[in-house]
Amino acid sequence: MTALALPISRLVGADLLKLRRSISLNVVTAFLTIGAIVITITIMELLHLANPDAHGPVGGIRDLGHFAALVGLLGAVAAAIVGARVGAGDMDAGAYRDLVVTGRSRLSLYLSRFAGGAAFLLPFVAVAYTIAAASSVALAGSNTAPDTRLLALTGLWAVLDVMFFFVLAVAISVAFGTGSYAIGVLLALRLAVMPIVVSISALGIVRELMPVAAIESITPAAFGEAARMGPHIPMSTGAVAAVLVAWATLAVAFAGWRDVTRDA
Amino acid sequence: MNKEASNSTYVVETEALTKRFGERTVVRGVALRVPRGSAFGYLGPNGAGKTTLIRMLLGLTPASSGSMHLLGHPVPAERAQALARVGAIVEEPRFHGHLTGRENLGIAAAARDSAATSRIDASLERVGLTARADDRVRTYSLGMRQRLGIARCLIADPELLILDEPMNGLDPAGIQDFRAFVRSFVDEGGTIVLSSHLLDEVERTCDHVAIVDHGAIVAQGSIAELRGTGLVLYVEADDRERARAVLAASTDVERIVDDGNVLAVSILEPHVVPDLNRRLVEAGINVLRLEPQQASLEQRFLEITTRLEDAA
Repeated sequence: MTALALPISRLVGADLLKLRRSISLNVVTAFLTIGAIVITITIMELLHLANPDAHGPVGGIRDLGHFAALVGLLGAVAAAIVGARVGAGDMDAGAYRDLVVTGRSRLSLYLSRFAGGAAFLLPFVAVAYTIAAASSVALAGSNTAPDTRLLALTGLWAVLDVMFFFVLAVAISVAFGTGSYAIGVLLALRLAVMPIVVSISALGIVRELMPVAAIESITPAAFGEAARMGPHIPMSTGAVAAVLVAWATLAVAFAGWRDVTRDA
Repeated sequence: MNKEASNSTYVVETEALTKRFGERTVVRGVALRVPRGSAFGYLGPNGAGKTTLIRMLLGLTPASSGSMHLLGHPVPAERAQALARVGAIVEEPRFHGHLTGRENLGIAAAARDSAATSRIDASLERVGLTARADDRVRTYSLGMRQRLGIARCLIADPELLILDEPMNGLDPAGIQDFRAFVRSFVDEGGTIVLSSHLLDEVERTCDHVAIVDHGAIVAQGSIAELRGTGLVLYVEADDRERARAVLAASTDVERIVDDGNVLAVSILEPHVVPDLNRRLVEAGINVLRLEPQQASLEQRFLEITTRLEDAA
């Protein structure tokens, strides 16, 4: 196990390096996560200061829900970009074959991308959510500030939302062998196809198979409608886990098979 | 039972190796033997299947049938062990342009054994890139990328280098440096397989060669063996057609290739030249040039491939 783990940790470091050294990727990811939340809070706070009667305090439970939804939505866009970059970066650069000819198993090359990409993306999401959480408490004013448990639960929920789409992004980009298509496909799924399917009530149980419905159904109840971006479909925790695990497993397994068997 | 890498005479051995893409056969029953410690040229025209063979050896694409051994290890069964001591460049070396040369080598080293990282500086120095190692690769010239590609191979401490058209993009000075590198690598006990369509370059750089045409090996051996002991007599005469007929009637002539204004006449021994000259003169043909030369690999290549075309 150690023999397997140690080399993979070096591969993860290599994948992380490729992402960290890309200035444009850092800027875009920071903007979509930290920048978006800072800009949103700043505008809301300025509106509040300018006209406290029309615009209430920025913080509190309700606004934490808004912030978390924003982190989840734009975080998923960042996840698509980062996932596509780490998943297909070697192939897009033409350097994939040079890694394969080292004799390293393609499976370990494949798996390391998930860890490397996650190591890059998570700090941005964590910082963005930390700013959101701190603001929701510090700027609560007359609103009820969220307690520690809700802050932690909401953080986990936002991270789950982002990381789920990150995993899909890596898998789709590996399956396609190019990052640009993967970004388009994932954004279409996340922002159009899945919300549309979920909103068509005639589709019945099919709607529950959509990850956005599953993730939405476990939104912390304290937010009410605040963190909702579509219709609420009640699902058990087991069903939510089954939907997310099934999507992730199928995507990761198919992409892994494709990566191991394709001509490099 | 696997052959031990250290004991195997051949670092590359293939048997009946074949690759088909649908109905098209790109590599046909190739039996390749690359002697340990040689600079081996895999020579053939563009589209002859050279790159496909290399890709099969390196596990980039599966073979349709046949068997392969690299450094004594069967591949793909023991691909990881085999490739651990192999450095390769397929087609052109590619890198992450936003990373420095040193960082790109670091990425390749991460995929190899842990000692590979410690070889980065020495590899960069050997290919003369130390001064530019911390510049982004997108600022490198094609020749510098080729050298960085060689450096990436060297971090494996390879016994075998497999280089696909390595002279592409090199300027004359770069080609000279490359030839020197090949010689020094072989002198240190390494083996280089170098695929190329440049006959002259292979003849200058390699000591063994396989000639491939339409996916099949048509000849292989040392350069000296393939060249043979034969000579080529260049004949220029005022009546080329009659000269050709006169020379063709001689049993000392193996083959005649009409090379524009000159006849390239393959002969076995230099002492037949006066006799051939006499025959031409006696036939009333004015001989303008009569120049015997050692047969080059290029002539042998053309002879072999022309013979195949004649037979087809």
